[in-house]
Amino acid sequence: MSAPIQSSSTSSDLFKSTINEYLDNLPEAVHSQLYRSPETCLAIFRLLPSLAKFYIMTLLFQETAIPYADLNRWIKPQKATGHHRNANKIYQNESIKRLKALNLLKEIRKKVKHPTTGKLTTIVFVQLNPIFRQSFRDALTGFRDGIPRDQSEKIAETIEEAEAESEKTLETSSVSSSSGPSLENLFATKFKITVGFLDSYCLAKWENILHFMVGSKIKHYPSIGVLTLLRYSGLMELPSDRRHRQSVDADEDNFVVDDHYIDGERGPPSGEELKSLLITKNGFQFLLQDINSQIWTLLLQYLKMSEKLMMNPVDVLNFIFMLGSLELGEGYPIKVLSDTQLIMLEDLVDYGLIFYPKSENSEDTKGRIFYPTRLATSLTSESTKFKTASTVLNEQISNTDSNQGKIIIETNFKIYCYTTSPLQIAILNLFVHLKIRFANMVTGIVTRESVRGALINGITADQIITYLESHAHPGMVKKAEEKYAKKMEFETSIGNSYTADQIKYEVLPPTVVDQIKLWQLELDRIQTFKGYLYKDFANDFEFEKLLSYGEEIGVIVWRDKIHRKFFVTSDGNAQLIEYANRILRKSASRSVTPST
Amino acid sequence: MSNSIDVSPKDDDYFSSDDGSTDDTADSHLDLLGKRVRNKKGVKHKDALEAEEMEKAEQKAMEMDRPAEFVPDSVSRIFGYSDFSFLKLKPDHASRPLWINPVDGRIYLESFSPLFEQAQDFLITIAEPVSRPSFIHEYRITTHSLYAAVSVGLETDDIISVLNRLSKVPVAPSVVEFIKQATHSYGKVKLVLKHNHYFVESSQADILRMLLHDEVIGKLRVHTGDSNDADSNDDELERVSPASGLAIGAISGPANSASGPSGPSGPSGPSGPAKSSASAPDPTVEDIYESVIGEGDDGEGDLDTVHAFQISTASVEIVKKRCQEIDYPMLEEYDFRNDLRNPNLEIDLKPSTQIRPYQEKSLSKMFGNGRARSGIIVLPCGAGKTLVGITAACTIRKSAIILCTSSVSVMQWKQQFLQWCTIQPNQVAVFTSESKEMFTGDAGLVVSTYSMVANTRNRSHDSQKVMDFITSREWGFIILDEVHVVPAAMFRRVVTTIAAHAKLGLTATLVREDEKISDLNFLIGPKLYEANWMELSQKGHIANVQCAEVWCPMTSEFYQEYLRENSRKRMLLYIMNPTKFQACQFLIQYHENRGDKIIVFADNVYALQEYALKLGKPFIYGSTPQQERMNILQNFQYNDKVNTIFLSKVGDTSIDLPEATCLIQISSHYGSRRQEAQRLGRILRAKRRNDEGFNAFFYSLVSKDTQEMYYSTKRQAFLVDQGYAFKIITHLHGMENLPNLAYSTPKERRELLQEVLLKNEEAAGVELGEDSENFIGHGVSKRLKTTVSRATKNQSSLSGLAGGEDMAYVEYSRNKNKELSGAHHPFFQKNYYKKKKK
Repeated sequence: MSAPIQSSSTSSDLFKSTINEYLDNLPEAVHSQLYRSPETCLAIFRLLPSLAKFYIMTLLFQETAIPYADLNRWIKPQKATGHHRNANKIYQNESIKRLKALNLLKEIRKKVKHPTTGKLTTIVFVQLNPIFRQSFRDALTGFRDGIPRDQSEKIAETIEEAEAESEKTLETSSVSSSSGPSLENLFATKFKITVGFLDSYCLAKWENILHFMVGSKIKHYPSIGVLTLLRYSGLMELPSDRRHRQSVDADEDNFVVDDHYIDGERGPPSGEELKSLLITKNGFQFLLQDINSQIWTLLLQYLKMSEKLMMNPVDVLNFIFMLGSLELGEGYPIKVLSDTQLIMLEDLVDYGLIFYPKSENSEDTKGRIFYPTRLATSLTSESTKFKTASTVLNEQISNTDSNQGKIIIETNFKIYCYTTSPLQIAILNLFVHLKIRFANMVTGIVTRESVRGALINGITADQIITYLESHAHPGMVKKAEEKYAKKMEFETSIGNSYTADQIKYEVLPPTVVDQIKLWQLELDRIQTFKGYLYKDFANDFEFEKLLSYGEEIGVIVWRDKIHRKFFVTSDGNAQLIEYANRILRKSASRSVTPST
Repeated sequence: MSNSIDVSPKDDDYFSSDDGSTDDTADSHLDLLGKRVRNKKGVKHKDALEAEEMEKAEQKAMEMDRPAEFVPDSVSRIFGYSDFSFLKLKPDHASRPLWINPVDGRIYLESFSPLFEQAQDFLITIAEPVSRPSFIHEYRITTHSLYAAVSVGLETDDIISVLNRLSKVPVAPSVVEFIKQATHSYGKVKLVLKHNHYFVESSQADILRMLLHDEVIGKLRVHTGDSNDADSNDDELERVSPASGLAIGAISGPANSASGPSGPSGPSGPSGPAKSSASAPDPTVEDIYESVIGEGDDGEGDLDTVHAFQISTASVEIVKKRCQEIDYPMLEEYDFRNDLRNPNLEIDLKPSTQIRPYQEKSLSKMFGNGRARSGIIVLPCGAGKTLVGITAACTIRKSAIILCTSSVSVMQWKQQFLQWCTIQPNQVAVFTSESKEMFTGDAGLVVSTYSMVANTRNRSHDSQKVMDFITSREWGFIILDEVHVVPAAMFRRVVTTIAAHAKLGLTATLVREDEKISDLNFLIGPKLYEANWMELSQKGHIANVQCAEVWCPMTSEFYQEYLRENSRKRMLLYIMNPTKFQACQFLIQYHENRGDKIIVFADNVYALQEYALKLGKPFIYGSTPQQERMNILQNFQYNDKVNTIFLSKVGDTSIDLPEATCLIQISSHYGSRRQEAQRLGRILRAKRRNDEGFNAFFYSLVSKDTQEMYYSTKRQAFLVDQGYAFKIITHLHGMENLPNLAYSTPKERRELLQEVLLKNEEAAGVELGEDSENFIGHGVSKRLKTTVSRATKNQSSLSGLAGGEDMAYVEYSRNKNKELSGAHHPFFQKNYYKKKKK
């Protein structure tokens, strides 16, 4: 009888899985290239499940391959209560599967003579991907031994990173000794650009994008690149897209924008056109996620788009992962970046991931410096477990504790939201008829019209409810818990265990939840079936025979015995025709007219 | 900022608009503004007007309070003129419980704040409650509410300073200005009844002089002979002794609260211990609050000299209304302890009588400064309004007259008086069409109905005698039960014919769709107290109710006809919707099996009969004779076999059935919020309410996709604002499997449809009486007026007319009413069969 626990903040896990999926599906050659970069190795390592991390750490400094069976032995067997053991096994298999998918773990089959019997048996050995092993060792130790510094651009970049990291841990003279001319430059600007400035800069940039999504009036529209990406990723759509989608009756999830300039069929929509983008269902879902997940969503879309633009995915990924290991508040020279990465740099500036000040001496492009913002440096951190940068950011956005909800919804459909964030107000405005705003609170009312507006925009009732639930005021949560406990106590005291199981834990007033759902149902009252109409039967016998068979296999949607007609689902049609042919082979004519 | 004050008087126009602005659950200031302008111009196109108003209002808001440095951000546009984010939060705003809207005076109160109790007590005094659900309560400051606040002894500065203390944001200058404007003149003029003559009193002679120069009031002054100059009215100066405290009724024990001029009486509320424990977390604010309120009370006691002039009885109402218009509303107070002219009535509460805290609180508002104020007390049905009236009568201890809506409630009042207090039965007289008694002795009680007293037609000799008696004497106190149902015209007559010192209106629902509620403000007095339904329900004073709205889809045949028919016929179609009938049948069955006693309400008499006959249940409507009514009600109360009764709207108010635990509503009076609340009231007093886990049930059956849905939402507005939640049920599980389910075959449904279509429009109407202006003349024997010869046009196919479409004569079901009476009264049975044989 444990108190119900809200399962929130699963969204970032969700996005980890999508980036993982993306990485898994890359070809081995790309993996090998990726693993040349220590930052990428570190970032990928962070994304792995903890057992996989453990395997890597164990194998990292093993020079020789070890038998596969050892992997099992490292795990303490659980008690043989079937369920648990199974779960452990599944977890282990998952971890190993991931390692293999990423080409991190290599299997080597060796024929080995048994020490005692002398029989030849095949034993599977495992070994870490050598490239990954080397890079990851470097990432952890901070150098790459045996290779002189400033050999190539790549290496220079690596060293820069290493320096940055060592600088973080111990700010000793070793830094200055290894510093080149670029570092002097770095020191010169370091004091102008503060962490605070970067935070407010990236927030402003990011919020501007979100504001655009929720349709607030904004002064500076996001760049065309951002708008295109939003549209391409299905988070927003042009009115023309919506019409098109509705006409082909496609779901938002699998509808692909087809006139994108990448495909080259039609010209790209102009910037003015793009300003009329409207939010989609996915877009609303996107808004409800925490900021880290939002960025990942966009970056993944960026990756997919960059492939079509013939950008080198290795460069793109490396750059993204590299950002994750940069130090907030430090400046980095752009000369270490490849050409692809320079293009990316401009795009990432639009998202607020990077601050890239215009340099005074424009001719010296190579000497310019960029600053990663908190959005970038927190990319690969594990945000759900610790109070990390991204949660700090979330708090900054809402100006309250992130674990404290702010929305009260009453049984009379009035909403009171403790907020100062224009963004949250704008989100609420998507489905609430807002009325009055005070310095720390806004009031509004959920009406049929306001919810309808949201529904028509593609936001679902469930999304609205989830949003309200996850932001519910602690008072509401407390009341719901009390009510739940009281009911539970009452039902168990009278020994009514059946009803006790039925008791739901409801944070929001159930009437409001029901009503919002009903408003959605109101909109889709007509159910459509694809199928075939059977009519013009020659006689009652045929009709009855076919109809009863159809009813038996459960494919009849509608029937009219008087006029001898019925309607069959498209799935069941073939079966019915086959049957019809069988029984009609004897009788004279077939009078089945399929139509849709 | 300084210019904001210059502009404010203009803004106050919205606040002080007393033409129907109190009854608002939804009017924003904009609506109100729009309405006013529409009234003035009348012809202008509505949309254009609204747009124009919107602009104006925005401009106004800008110039009113917004500081110049306020920069609207990206979302300000959403709120328009209602963006008050420029109001800076006080540093300790978290511990203060409310916000005040500078434009329309709406107050938002956090119910989870530690200061909630105090804030609620204060706000209920100075503002009208708009909605009171679980977390955030809304109130609204109006001129009427401020009038009420002043009448219970609060002063302008107190109101502003307490508001300022409780508010998270500074009280906007516009609100301050409004309060000042509205209250500076309040409480300065009093209407006093002395020796059966009305006097207008004031402590400031210049105000009286101003009134005498008023074009309306000046003429109405009655010159008592020796004074001939209007200006030299100092000769009418009269000394009134300062008020002193008194105890409410004869309540014994610690519950007694109003004990002295500086005591804890007054609007801050009673019962010291409970209060101080609740306010423990923040003693300082509490102290300040108490002292502020306390001062107000002391100030009241310092009255020394009073000037007065006399007006005639007939012109009282005109003067009152005029005073309201010129913003000098009159307070009506009755210093009953010093009234030696009217004989005292020997009446005391019995020692066993327990008064609940909220009843006491409401009475403390009435007797706050040792005098009796006229006003209205609003308590939910079943929360003991009668006892409040009785206690008030026991406090004043003068002759009293009680007016209620029906002869049934007359008897209930009499019985309650005898139950709760020590009065002798011969001192309680009943004046109805059936009995025209008079009490013996100098003082006593009279219980009657509005219609008896307000009747202007010829009376019988007996009743004329009683009426003469009533009008000839001076009454200490008049109780007006269910004030909301009585139209203004009737009140005028009642109030003018009966000379009473103090008036108390009692009601559960101070809402009327026709907005005549505001008339009550000058006819009776301000609203003194309004209880919080949810709070009473939580404390077990009224039953906990589960409300549900059951959506019954229209069958396709009915919906087809529905779309074709005119609006009156439509009503009949959605009421007689077979699915609704099935739902009703199912719910009755379900709740009878649970052991509930069920009342089914239907406004439409035709439907009422159809449903009741088909289901074999007894029913009561306007034409049911009194004897049969009592018989059915008694059976419902005591007979295990009778668990369900059908009532038409005669059962809406005053039928007291504590056995009922479940209520099903199948048809109703359009969007009447009051009816919904009154009906809910039938099950609030459920006997079993204190059982663990007990819930009463309130179902409203509506036909989907019809106008009924719209009305239903409208009707629920009042209850929803009180914090009730209506659960929507779209499907009743197991309904299809109910044995003997009515109208389960298409044939039966078609038959029903034919029958409904053949009914003429009259059948669609709701029952007349009880509610509207034609209240007078309603009696138990009132019959439905039906026009006999009236051409009706029915559409039907030829085969249909020939009986080809399943039309057949069928004897449906027998009247359960007859059975009931038959079972218990062989005499009727005999008569009934005799008649039948003929």
